[in-house]
Amino acid sequence: MSAVSEPEGIAAPVPAAAEGNTPSRWPLAQVGLWAVILFLCLTPFILIFAISFGHKIEGASWEWAFSLANYQRVFVGANWPEEVTALYLQKLYYSLYYAVIASVLAVITAFPFTYLVTGRSRRAQSAWLVFILSSLSLSEVFIVMGWDVLLSNRSGLPMVFKATGLTDWLKQVGWFDTLRDWGLANPRNVKFKTSVSATVLTMSYLVWPYAVILLYPPLSRLDRSMVEAARTMGAGPWTVLRTVILPTVRLPLMGSVLLLFVFLLGVYVAVTVFAEPAKQTMAVSVYEAVRGNTLNAPFGAAQAMVLLVTAGIFLALGQWMSRRAAS
Amino acid sequence: MNGLRLGNVYKAFGSVRAVENINLDFAEGELTALLGPSGCGKTTLLRMIAGLEEPSGGAILLGGRDITALPAHKRRFGMVFQSFALFPHLTVRENVVYSLVISGTSKAEAMDTGERLLDLVQLKGYGDRRIGELSGGQRQRVAIARALAQEPEVFLLDEPMSALDAKLREDMQVELRLLQQRLGITTIVVTHDQREAMTMADKIVVMSQGRVEQVGPPQDIYHKPENAFVADFIGKANFFDGVVEQGGVRVGDTLLELDAAARFLSGSPVQVAFRPEMPHLDAEAVPGSRLQAKVTFVRDVGPVRDIHLQTEIGPMVVEYARGETDRSFAVGQETAVTLPPDRLLAFPRTGQAAA
Repeated sequence: MSAVSEPEGIAAPVPAAAEGNTPSRWPLAQVGLWAVILFLCLTPFILIFAISFGHKIEGASWEWAFSLANYQRVFVGANWPEEVTALYLQKLYYSLYYAVIASVLAVITAFPFTYLVTGRSRRAQSAWLVFILSSLSLSEVFIVMGWDVLLSNRSGLPMVFKATGLTDWLKQVGWFDTLRDWGLANPRNVKFKTSVSATVLTMSYLVWPYAVILLYPPLSRLDRSMVEAARTMGAGPWTVLRTVILPTVRLPLMGSVLLLFVFLLGVYVAVTVFAEPAKQTMAVSVYEAVRGNTLNAPFGAAQAMVLLVTAGIFLALGQWMSRRAAS
Repeated sequence: MNGLRLGNVYKAFGSVRAVENINLDFAEGELTALLGPSGCGKTTLLRMIAGLEEPSGGAILLGGRDITALPAHKRRFGMVFQSFALFPHLTVRENVVYSLVISGTSKAEAMDTGERLLDLVQLKGYGDRRIGELSGGQRQRVAIARALAQEPEVFLLDEPMSALDAKLREDMQVELRLLQQRLGITTIVVTHDQREAMTMADKIVVMSQGRVEQVGPPQDIYHKPENAFVADFIGKANFFDGVVEQGGVRVGDTLLELDAAARFLSGSPVQVAFRPEMPHLDAEAVPGSRLQAKVTFVRDVGPVRDIHLQTEIGPMVVEYARGETDRSFAVGQETAVTLPPDRLLAFPRTGQAAA
């Protein structure tokens, strides 16, 4: 009877050759795979970590050593204890400052857009997603170039302000002085670069498509009947947003801000073009140390490690906050 | 308030009319079931009443006041959704008192109301639990308590039992009906389950293709269906095509005695319908059309037996409740079925049905 014979057939003994191959091959393959992954992931970090303790040879390259001088220079300056300088901590501050504001701005602006898109038909959603994804193919250099032209004093928005009389109007109503106080105008016209606003705006624009893509899954899964239920219970649109939508997606929102923040810590081109020299970030300083004028790889590596640890601290903090919010 | 009234309410999505001109009155304190198959427009109608969907035309009046243009959050009709739509980031108690908290009710008062409502839906002691820790039936109770917290003038339920298993559904139907009767709140329930509608409703509105087919008490809907759709959708029925002739209806070569035939002109094509519990098997003294029959199948499901018959006018099903008769029926057995003339329904055959 087949009902009896079939299980026997299924449970038929595996040929000896195959039996012999299975246990020996797979562990070897797994070990190999893990070795490749660990090599690719960890080697650069280990190298940078090791180099950060190295020593620069003036007028030449650098040599292996174990010195904390590079870290000392980052935190208290090269002349410590005679003199304490916070130049590189200031660069770290601007790294965090730009990254926090730009990531929050990107998520805040991407959120309503994504919410509206997820409420549209599937066809419309697909079209928007294709458009957003295709914009990711633009490199940072292209995006910064576009914003550079848009914000440049001679051919961009300041020229439009001047030509349309908007600058004169701003002067008449007294807002021009406010813009000057904010560093967004010179005595003659508005100016957007170099400025913190332009830097943050460009960085935010850079990661905006990522913000949409990160927010799309949680918002498309959001049960819209919860919104309707809140409405039937007397909640107006803002109350619904405040008491239902935002708390429901708070974890993905925090996660998105955190991911974009870490990504923005390493932005280079936008900062070099739009930020004042005194307000440049640690990422720019790392590049200058490694490939720029100073050619001090160990010091660049130490700065990179500080940036890496800072990002790690923020990620851990974010995870802790997420767990706390979830519980 | 003095009840809810819909006057010529319709809804069009582009060129498609989801709801055709609906005129309905929902009396104060009454439970009305909107019953119909999927896609008949019952949920769209409920959403228009709730203010979640804007009618394309017509008026919705509450106690004589036109609320057609009033947004949902200003109507404050309590509504239970098919998915329950509970807020996962809030506890059971916070869900229940949500409407009170956002309206500025003091915390102490809101908490008191919350406890009272949780007690009402038999969830006392569950206030601090998360929604994810509740079963389907408990979630439904939370959704009901939450909708009742704002003391709504109208209570709306959109397929509230569809997420529950069969046994729990039956229990909840009775519980919900008792609760509604105790509170005396005007209630509208959307359902596609005729048993659910028959159990709970004072009045049933049968809908099909965006139109109201019949409105009435459950027993009228069941025993006096106004058309073939209602007869078919509510309960079970045997249908036969025939033509009115000599005060009866001719089905094939057989002339059936039928009181309802008097309403039709001779020669009119009609559909004859009767409930499975109406015919009698091997009953000599019962007046009516007597047909020879052969048992083809017996379906015994405990409380009732369905006896499938092949007769001279076609196949039919006769149902006996347990205890109604002790007779046993076997496949292949010859018998006679009598159709009482006052229990046979006749509906005009139109369009494709008449062809």
